[in-house]
Amino acid sequence: MSYPQTLEKLVESLCRFPGIGPKTAQRLAFFLLARPREEVVSIARAMVEAKDKLFFCSNCGCLTEIEPCALCRDSRRDRGLICVVQEPRDVLVLERTGQYHGLYHVLHGALSPLDGLGPEELRLPHLFSRIKENNVREVIIATNPNVEGDATAAFIARLVKPLGVTVTRIAFGLPVGGDLEYADDLTLSRALEGRREM
Amino acid sequence: MFLHKLKLLHFRNYEQQELSFNARINIFKGNNGQGKTNLLEAIYYLAVSRSFRTNYDQELVHWNKNDFFLKGNFQKGEDFYAVESAYQGFSKKFKIKVNGAEVKRSDFIYQFPVVVFSPDDLLLIKEGPAGRRRFLNLEGSRLIPSYYRKLKDYQKVLQQRNRLLKEKRSNFFNRDLFEPWDRALVSLGSSIIKQRISLLKNLEAQAQVFFEQLSGYKEQLSLNYVSSVTMADLSEKTEELFWDQLNQGRGEELKRGYTLIGPHLDDFLILINNYEAKKYASQGQQRAAALALKMGEVNLFCQARRESPIVLLDDVFSEFDPERRLQLLNFLRQREGQSFITTAAPFDKQGLQEGEFAIFSVYKGKINHEGARVNPGKNAPAEKNVASIQPKFDH
Repeated sequence: MSYPQTLEKLVESLCRFPGIGPKTAQRLAFFLLARPREEVVSIARAMVEAKDKLFFCSNCGCLTEIEPCALCRDSRRDRGLICVVQEPRDVLVLERTGQYHGLYHVLHGALSPLDGLGPEELRLPHLFSRIKENNVREVIIATNPNVEGDATAAFIARLVKPLGVTVTRIAFGLPVGGDLEYADDLTLSRALEGRREM
Repeated sequence: MFLHKLKLLHFRNYEQQELSFNARINIFKGNNGQGKTNLLEAIYYLAVSRSFRTNYDQELVHWNKNDFFLKGNFQKGEDFYAVESAYQGFSKKFKIKVNGAEVKRSDFIYQFPVVVFSPDDLLLIKEGPAGRRRFLNLEGSRLIPSYYRKLKDYQKVLQQRNRLLKEKRSNFFNRDLFEPWDRALVSLGSSIIKQRISLLKNLEAQAQVFFEQLSGYKEQLSLNYVSSVTMADLSEKTEELFWDQLNQGRGEELKRGYTLIGPHLDDFLILINNYEAKKYASQGQQRAAALALKMGEVNLFCQARRESPIVLLDDVFSEFDPERRLQLLNFLRQREGQSFITTAAPFDKQGLQEGEFAIFSVYKGKINHEGARVNPGKNAPAEKNVASIQPKFDH
């Protein structure tokens, strides 16, 4: 037996979500059908609204509803500090720590010639002019610890250091509260490289 | 490590076969195409969960059957392991059980060390550098903990950099764009080169001992790493030299559009009495050199893991003179682990003692144990009654 066309269309649409296969999509579709109409409408509205109202801040690249974004507007934040991250979601993660009070710069990727991502695509020229115009003291690079993230960090460091700005890379190592014996070799060797004097 | 018993069902040309092995040397005689290599393949497959001849499990299934099943009783030190491998042709499903408990294929690799030498290994000497690099990378990954990750990262950097070189072929050179990839290439590359050189030194020391014994102490084997990074002396500062030569070669790289220096282009020379084996050695000498590399690998493995791998030698006698055959048998007698040898020629015991070997004859997918009593090794296990994944066959 095949589905009614509308149901098929719904399942197909849900399939486009990352991590959702046909089976989960079907489960979600039947879930939606079992809910009251208002609830389904409010879910649909939330999706469209998010799509309509959210965009990337032209200054830092964070996800925002207003231009410039709340982070860039906040006068209590330290304007001499910029933290460079790869993805908008990385900002949320760092904000959750409550430890960082500077500004951000979201690259929306990392240098990768294979994917056609060069300095212009990552808005790096904009980062450099932000640094020059706003008397930035320190740039913290928090790109991912892999080949592309490391290359991006090296690229930024090389061009920013001559401007007399401190460039730092976030530390890599053991997860806090974890056991040494459960760390993999590579994490452990990077943790050893980045050890600190006590 | 020892394999005491083996059971094959529907594997290659074996319909059904059960065997008990000698704990030292096992010899399989038979004409071509009877199933000698298939038996070595079964042992290898059981221990490593892949074949040394094919990447497709389907090819291992008996021609008119849909699934195969292998079971072996291994002994490591004082511990016994019943290993079962089952493959189903219809669902393409594969299962491994160790002592009755299912194990993931990825967790299984290197648990039961086996080294195989087949006529194809001669290509290591005869063919181009790609095979020798693959050999070094494989050994490096097995023996040096950080090697595999470094190699993967290096390959990624190399791809990214090559793309950059291709893109910029006609445009002007942008130093800033290249710098981070150059740095990564040199730092990972130098570290790989250094690890390979030390690996090769260790391998050389082990292979030399075997090779000299094999040649009756008349010939010498040496292995020399040849890097695309020009170094007068291998102990020199690889990183600086690599960096300088990378920059000197820039123009050529931009013209050609790919990276022209680094461990991905390196090689090593195999020398017999200081002459390159590839060009000047006889067929028999080349085979001896290739075998020496493999046996060196066995010894390195023993050192690193404190365990003697099972050695599988496929058709190794065919090009050796009687002297070399005798020396090879002596080597196998003296080493700790168990060995399996196939031969199409009549087999001469040459001083093998009763109890340290067993001879089997292979004919049309059937194996018969000949003569000498099988020595089951010390305290061979009583068959435990564990849940088996052996499929039920309806005939």
